[in-house]
Amino acid sequence: MEITFVLNGRAVVVDVEPTRPLLDVLRTDLGLTGTKQGCDHEGECGACTVLLDGRPVRSCLTPVGKVTGRCVQTIEGLGVPGDLHPLQIAFIETGAVQCGFCAPGVLMAAKALLDRTPDPSREQIIEALDGNLCRCTGYARMVEAVQLAAARMRGESLPAPWAERSVIGGSPLRADSIAKVTGQAQYVEDVVMDGMLYGAVLRSPHHHARLVSLDAEPAVRVKGVVRVLTSADVPGKNSFVEYSRDEPILPPIGETVRMIGAPVALVVAESPAAAQAGLASIAVEYQVLPYAFDPTETLRADAFPIAGEDNVLTEFQVRHGDAAAVLAESDVVVETGYDTAYLEHAALERETLLGYLDEADRITVVGGTHQPHWQQRYIAQALALPQEQVRVILPPTGGTFGGKQDPWPFLAVALMVYHVRRPVRLTYSRRESFDASPKRHPYRMGFKIGATRDGQLTGIHVRILCNTGGYDGHGQYIANYALTASGGAYRWSAVDGLARSVYTNGPKAGQFRGFGTAQSTFALECTLDELAERLDLDPLALRLQNILADGDRSFLGYPVAETMGYREVLEAVRPHYQAYCQEVRAFNELRSQQGEPLRQGVGLAGMWYRFGKSGSLKSEAHAELAEDGHFVVYCSAPDYGQGTNTVMSQMAAEAMEVSRDGIELVNADTALTPDSGIQGASRATYWVGGSVVAAMTRLREEILGVAAEMLDVSPAVLSVEHGRVAVRTEPGRAVSLVEVAREFDRMGKRRRVAGFFDLTPNFLTENRPEYVPFFVTGAHVAQVEVHLETGTVRVLRVAAAHDVGRVVNPLDAVGQIEGAVLMGLGAALMEEFIPDHTTGLSDYYLPTAQSLPEISVHLVEVGGKFGPLGVKGLGEAAMLPASPAIVNGLSRAIGARLRTIPATPERVLEHIHRSRVVR
Amino acid sequence: MTDYRFPVSVEEALDILDAHAASSTPSGSGSARVIAGGTDLILDMRRGKRNPACLVDLTRIPGLDQIRVIGGVVEVGAAVTFAAIQEHPYLRQHVPALTAAARSVGALGIQTAATWVGNIVQAMPAADGAVVALALEAEARVVDRDGAVWWSVEELFLGPGRSVVDSTRQIVTHVRFPLPGHSWGTSWQRVGRRASLVLPIINCAVRIVLDGEGIEQAVIALGPVAPRPFRARQAESVLTGQRPTDEALAEAARIAQGESDPRSSVKRASREYRLAILPALVRAALHEAVRRARGSER
Repeated sequence: MEITFVLNGRAVVVDVEPTRPLLDVLRTDLGLTGTKQGCDHEGECGACTVLLDGRPVRSCLTPVGKVTGRCVQTIEGLGVPGDLHPLQIAFIETGAVQCGFCAPGVLMAAKALLDRTPDPSREQIIEALDGNLCRCTGYARMVEAVQLAAARMRGESLPAPWAERSVIGGSPLRADSIAKVTGQAQYVEDVVMDGMLYGAVLRSPHHHARLVSLDAEPAVRVKGVVRVLTSADVPGKNSFVEYSRDEPILPPIGETVRMIGAPVALVVAESPAAAQAGLASIAVEYQVLPYAFDPTETLRADAFPIAGEDNVLTEFQVRHGDAAAVLAESDVVVETGYDTAYLEHAALERETLLGYLDEADRITVVGGTHQPHWQQRYIAQALALPQEQVRVILPPTGGTFGGKQDPWPFLAVALMVYHVRRPVRLTYSRRESFDASPKRHPYRMGFKIGATRDGQLTGIHVRILCNTGGYDGHGQYIANYALTASGGAYRWSAVDGLARSVYTNGPKAGQFRGFGTAQSTFALECTLDELAERLDLDPLALRLQNILADGDRSFLGYPVAETMGYREVLEAVRPHYQAYCQEVRAFNELRSQQGEPLRQGVGLAGMWYRFGKSGSLKSEAHAELAEDGHFVVYCSAPDYGQGTNTVMSQMAAEAMEVSRDGIELVNADTALTPDSGIQGASRATYWVGGSVVAAMTRLREEILGVAAEMLDVSPAVLSVEHGRVAVRTEPGRAVSLVEVAREFDRMGKRRRVAGFFDLTPNFLTENRPEYVPFFVTGAHVAQVEVHLETGTVRVLRVAAAHDVGRVVNPLDAVGQIEGAVLMGLGAALMEEFIPDHTTGLSDYYLPTAQSLPEISVHLVEVGGKFGPLGVKGLGEAAMLPASPAIVNGLSRAIGARLRTIPATPERVLEHIHRSRVVR
Repeated sequence: MTDYRFPVSVEEALDILDAHAASSTPSGSGSARVIAGGTDLILDMRRGKRNPACLVDLTRIPGLDQIRVIGGVVEVGAAVTFAAIQEHPYLRQHVPALTAAARSVGALGIQTAATWVGNIVQAMPAADGAVVALALEAEARVVDRDGAVWWSVEELFLGPGRSVVDSTRQIVTHVRFPLPGHSWGTSWQRVGRRASLVLPIINCAVRIVLDGEGIEQAVIALGPVAPRPFRARQAESVLTGQRPTDEALAEAARIAQGESDPRSSVKRASREYRLAILPALVRAALHEAVRRARGSER
C-alpha cells in the first residue's frame, strides 16, 4: 500500500504493508537508522521514540498506515553536526550520552516536552523521560541536560557547565557524542553490507535435556535458507575452553544442553524471516532430564548430575588464624544469610554482530566486547585458522556491563561467515538475549562476624554458593572474586572463607559489573550494619574504627599495595549521613504522630574493590607520529559507552603535552591495535591508560631528540605543539612535525613506538593469580522512604563518594557513579530474572527516570602510587555500595532486616509485618 | 497485504466492516477490525492473536477526538488519547481519578496514542482505563448496523480480554459518564513493581457522592482482582447512607478485600500480597475521595 507522510519536513512515499511498525519502515525502507530498537516491538524501552505531529510515540507500536498524511520527526530531523539542536549540545556538554543507544529516543521525548513546556520543572522532565529506559547514565545527567537546553532556548546564556574545569588533556567532552546525538553513529544493527545474510540460532526449549537427534535437512530445503550448521561443521575446537570450560559452540549429538536458550544449531538465510522459517523446520529430538535452579538442591548427594564433579565448578578458600576460636571468644557474633537474584545486563542495544571477509580475506567479526583479542583467539581455535586470519573490531556499542563479553556470538558469526563466505549479521531478539545471554550470579551467603563490645571486629566466617547456571561462562573465577569482596577494607584477626561456584539449570552466569564482588559486598555491608545496630554503634564510626592501615594484612592474607582512601571516602559522606539522619528522625516523629504510614531510614555502606585482572600486570599500547605530523594512538580499550575513547585520548594528550583535538585514536581492532589486555575489572584507565601514557611519553622523547638534532638545541628547551616542535627560549624558532616525521624516515627510525605499563617487577609473581594488591574504595549513603501499608520503597537521596586516585574526566566519572547508583538501586529493589518466568523488558523491571533519587557525587582524589598520573579504577566499583546502602536504609526504616534482594514491595511488606518497631 | 482505511464517518466505518464481514471466516480472519491507538492491537497481531484483512482507523472521524461536557454528561470520543485526557482542564479539576489513571497507562509515548475507549474494549482485568470507567459508572455507545445502544461499561466485560463488543462489526464511538456534581469526589490509587511503565499489582478507583454529612453513593472499582475489572458492590452498599467515619471507611475496605479474588503472579505479586495491600488502597482512595467531595481538596 502506498503511504505518503511528511518525514523531517519533506514528503515521502513508501509502498509497504501498512501494519508494519513505523520503526521498521524508518530503519529498513528509508535507511534512517538513528531511531533505535531495544525491545521486541513491545513498547517497553522507548529507544524508538519519534514525534508524530509533535507528540512522542513509540514507533515500534505505530503501524505505518497510521502516519498517512501526518508529520513524523526523527533524530535525523533534530539537528546535524555543525547545526545541532540546543538539546543535543546540552546532552554533550553535561555528559548525558554514554553508550548513546537510548539517546535518540530520549532527545525526541525531551524535544516534545520543550516544544510545549519551555520552562519545565524537574518533575516534568522526569515524567517526560520516564518511558525511555537508559542503562548507563542513571538519568541524572539527562535531566540536567534538558534543564540546560531549556534555559538556553528561553534565551539565557549559559556556559557549558564543565567547560571551566581544567582536566587532563583539555576538555572532558566526548569525541564521539556528536555522532551519537545526531543518530549518525553506526551501531552494528545500522550497518548493511552488500549480499548480507541473516543468522539465527536454534536454542534449547528445555532446562536440561540430552540431544538425541537433529535433522537439518528440512531446513536446508526452506526457501531462502543458505546453510544450516551443526556441531559437525565446526572445523577446529568445538569449545572456547580458555574462557568457559564446558560450553561447546554447538552441542554434538548425545551431549546435554543444560539451560533454556542453549544453542543447538545455526541457520544462515537471505532474510530474517527465512532464517526463522529455517529454525522452525529443524527436527530435534531431546531426552528431557530433571532440572533444578537452586544450588542448595543441586549440591545434594542425590542430586541429578549436571556437570563437573558433584555439580561444583570451582571452589576457593581464604583461611588465616583460627576463626572458630576467635568467634567463640568474641563479645558478640552476628550471623546472617543473604540472597541475591539473577540479574540481566539489559544493555539497550541487544547482542548484534556482523561478520564478513575483509579486504585481506580475514574472517572479520564486528561486535561489542570487552576483549577483541580474546575473541580473535577463540575464533582462530574454533576455525583451525592462524590467528592473523581472524579479525575482531569493536564498533560503537550500546552498552555491555559485562554481558557482551560472552564469546559465543562471536564464534557463531565467525562460523557462519567461514561456511558461507558472505557477510552475515546476527541480532538476538530481546527475548533471546534474556534467555541466552549470561546473567549475574545469584549468591546464597552465610556470614558470621565477631566483634568486641566496643566495636572492634574480630573473626569472620563466610560461606558462599555462587550459582553459575548451566555452564561455566567464566564462573570458574567467581568463587575467588566472591570471597575477595566479602571481607572488605577491614582488619580481621581470623578469617575462614569458602566460596563455591555451583551448577544449576538456570541461565549461565558470567561477567556483570563488579564480577562477583557486588553480591558479597552487599552481604558484608548489610551484616556490618546489623552488627552496628546490635552494638548500638554509629555505622560510620564502626567502619572507621576497623579500617585496614597501610601494611596491615588484609582479609585476603596479604597487605594492599595501592593507596585506598577508605577513610577519606567515609569522611566525604559523613556530612550527608548526618544531615539525612537528622531529617529522617524529624520525618518519622511527625509521621508517627500523625499516624501516616510512611517511614524513612538512612543506610550507609562502604566497599573495597580489587581492580585489575588477576594474572596479568602488563599492558601494551602504541603511539605514532603520522607522516602528516599528527599523532595516532593505538590501543585496545573497547569503548562500549563508558568513555575510554575519550579518556585514552586525554591521557595521550597529557603525556605529549598537547591538547586533545589533534590526536587520533585507533581503538580495539585486532588488525590494527596491540592487545592491551581485557577491559574488565575497571582496569582500562590504570593499565591501558598507563601503556598509552608510556607510549606517548616515549614518542615525545624520540621526537624531541630528533627535533633537537634538527634545531641544534638541547631537547630540554623544546616543546611539542600541534603541528610543530618549538624552541621555548626563542619564539618563532621551530620545526614542523611533518619535517620531524620525514627526518624519522630518513634516519630509518620507526615513527610508531610501543609503550608498556608493567607492574610485574613490582610484585611477587609466585602467588598470582590470587595475589592482586590493588583496591579502590567508596561509600554510599541512601535516604529511603517506605510505605508501611504497601511495602513500596522510594530512594530519595544518595550521596556517593569514590576514591578515584585522580580525576581524568569528571563528567564521565560522575556519570559512571550515577549510572551505578541506579543499577544498584535496580538490584536492591526491582531487578530479578526468574527462570521459567522472565521474558524481557516487560517483566524485568529496570529503574526508570521516576526512580532517580537526588544524587550527590564526591570524587575523592587520594593519588595512586603506581598508576599513570595517579589514577585508579572506578566503573565497576561504583556499583558495589549502592545496593547495601539502600537495603540498610530500608531495613532501618522498618526496623526489620531485608536479607533477600530485590526487596520487592511484597518482601518489604512481609518484613514490616514481622517488625516490632513500626507496628 | 492488510488494507488500512481512514473512514470519515462512523457510517463509512461500519460499511467497511460490513464489506469484509461477508468474506470472513468464522475464526475472524479475512475480517476488518477497528483500530484506534493500536498499541494493544499491533502487539496482538505480532503475536498472531489477530489477523485482520483490513484495519479501520477511527482516529480521523470528525468529532471522535472530542471531550465534551454537555447535557449532564462528560462524553469522550473513541479517538481521545490518554494524553488528551490528562491535559483536559475540566477533567483535571473535576475528575482527578481519571486524569491519574490516564497517567498510569504505560508511559507518555504510549499515552499519546492509546485511547480510553480502546483500553475499555480490550477488557483486561488490570486495565487502568477500564477500572476508572467502572468507578465513574461510565457507559459506552456501541454502534452497529442495528443502530446505537448505550451499554453500561461494566456489562461489556466478559472475561480476560473478552468484550461484548465485536470489533470486526461494532464500534464504540463514545464513552460517557455523569457530570460531576457538587459533592462528588474521586480518587485513584495504584501499586506496581516500579513507579511507572508497569502493569499494576492492584489499582483502585473510587467515586463518592456526599449528601450532607452522609454518603449518598460510593463506587469502588478494582483490578486485577477478578477475571474482569471489578466493582466491590458489598463494600459500596455498606457505605450508602453512612457517615464517612474512619471506621466506616476501614470497614468498607475490609469488605472489599473479602469480595476480591486476585490471582498469584510470580512476576508481579502473590494473591496474598494483593489481598494484603488492597484494604490500604481502598481506604486511602475512600478518604481522598471524601475529602475531595467535601471540597476541601480537589
